[in-house]
Amino acid sequence: MNWYGIRAIYRFEMARFFRSIVQSIVSPVLSTSLYFVVFGAAIGSRIQEVEGVSYGAFIVPGLIMLSVLTQSLQNASFGIYFPKFIGTIYEILSAPVSALEIVIGYVGAAATKSLLIGSIILVTSFFFVDITIQHPFWMLAFLVLTCVSFSLLGFIIGIWAKSFEQLNLVPLLVVTPLVFLGGSFYSISMLPPIWQSISLFNPVLYLVSGFRWAFFGMSDVPVAASLFAITTFSAVCLGIVWWIFKSGYRLKT
Amino acid sequence: MSAIVQVRDLQKTYDGGFEALKRVNLDIEEGEILALLGPNGAGKTTLISTICGITTPTSGSISVGGHDVIDDFRRARRLVGLVPQEINLEPFEFVMNTVRFSRGLFGKGRNDAYLEQILKDLSLWDKRGGRIAELSGGMKRRVLIAKALSHEPRVLFLDEPTAGVDVELRKDMWQLVERLRKDGVTIILTTHYIEEAEAIADRVGVINKGEILLIEDKAALMSRMGQKEMRIELTESIETVPESLGDYDLVRSNDGRVLTYAYQTTSTRTGITSLLKDLQAAGIGLRDVQTSQSSLEDIFVNLVKESAK
Repeated sequence: MNWYGIRAIYRFEMARFFRSIVQSIVSPVLSTSLYFVVFGAAIGSRIQEVEGVSYGAFIVPGLIMLSVLTQSLQNASFGIYFPKFIGTIYEILSAPVSALEIVIGYVGAAATKSLLIGSIILVTSFFFVDITIQHPFWMLAFLVLTCVSFSLLGFIIGIWAKSFEQLNLVPLLVVTPLVFLGGSFYSISMLPPIWQSISLFNPVLYLVSGFRWAFFGMSDVPVAASLFAITTFSAVCLGIVWWIFKSGYRLKT
Repeated sequence: MSAIVQVRDLQKTYDGGFEALKRVNLDIEEGEILALLGPNGAGKTTLISTICGITTPTSGSISVGGHDVIDDFRRARRLVGLVPQEINLEPFEFVMNTVRFSRGLFGKGRNDAYLEQILKDLSLWDKRGGRIAELSGGMKRRVLIAKALSHEPRVLFLDEPTAGVDVELRKDMWQLVERLRKDGVTIILTTHYIEEAEAIADRVGVINKGEILLIEDKAALMSRMGQKEMRIELTESIETVPESLGDYDLVRSNDGRVLTYAYQTTSTRTGITSLLKDLQAAGIGLRDVQTSQSSLEDIFVNLVKESAK
């Protein structure tokens, strides 16, 4: 393994993150705080409780997921798209680093960033609502797995994208709707039966549900199903990344 | 000397069907400076990109330092540094950081003393803390060179290093190449400028339409360049060249009015004086005499023209 190579990529990507610290950290924290104010205080005062948990606390796992998913996709896709766009990718391609090392460097950095942001949002939420975490280990496990798998997806999007427009297309048109419709801000038991069934096809539901279970011990779908969903999703992403490097898709001519 | 880079039957056909390289064979000796000349689109960059691993070959094999560039890519690539033609740099990055990044990427531990030396050699040391975006075009090119040298490569590829570069930087670059040669670094550079090849290369290769047309010692090429032709126009046409002039290998034109004599300016005796004497002795009258010299440029242009046929 070329550990120096992995470290070089990882540090380079993290440096980018800390260079734009305001954009990287302040903006997700600010937007999350706004969600708390709007959903927690304004709407939450009318909803009161969901299955014994105050609405303000209930939305915390969903809010963290929303940020972590978007940040993972954005950071990872931008991280690999930008060198492609400005041409510095030549150096990565001509360096003695394997595909695995490139992925560890880029995806590792992107996942670290979203993990940081997720943690910051969690800490922020303590200022707004009372939360207890019933299964801290599983909470962390779900969080890390989500960061990694969606950073992998972001990496794939970054390689696939040929323009900045395409880069934003998937997060905007696919992921954001899935997150909002995936029970981030409600329990699907609140929905009419037909929509409950449809929601079961939304992969994000399984993430949010599993993550929420780690906090409050309640879930829309069985925890095992959540775990299965996220590991399958990670495996599929890994498979695609493996194929990309094997074939040189949109990387090499 | 042994070949540090070996290219065997290398072919590259792009997806659109364009054949950029047609069975290229090339041996680059350790420690030499090889200049690859060729018009735009000749395949110079494709050849370099394929050796460096940026482009996947359609068929054929390449080894660097005895390591196959695909099966043993780690060992092969560690030996190679590449300065690309385009100025590809991240504008917001700092000079020193980007050079450190390159060194790490190529699997070497941090060595700031070595990097300091490179930056000083390239007159970049004062700019080490500056952002890439603040640098001039020439300075950016120096950063690219610093990046390529950061991991102490044994083989350095310079793709059009002096295209659009001012005279000062070009001279600096030549000096740098000379220093690297003293350290035993093998250098392959592509260029449009024939005088550049003349100034610094040991061997010159000419490439066009994906084929290497010629690869020769610069000294041998220079002696070909030293060849001159004398065109002698006669007052009256002659049927045959008189036997007394047989030693000169004169070429008679079809109408018998012109004799052409080839000679070396580099040899101690050109034979012009005796030829003129012997012509007079044979009773041949001269109307006019012209001399012309073949240059590397002529050789190059002729080769490229022939290959176009």
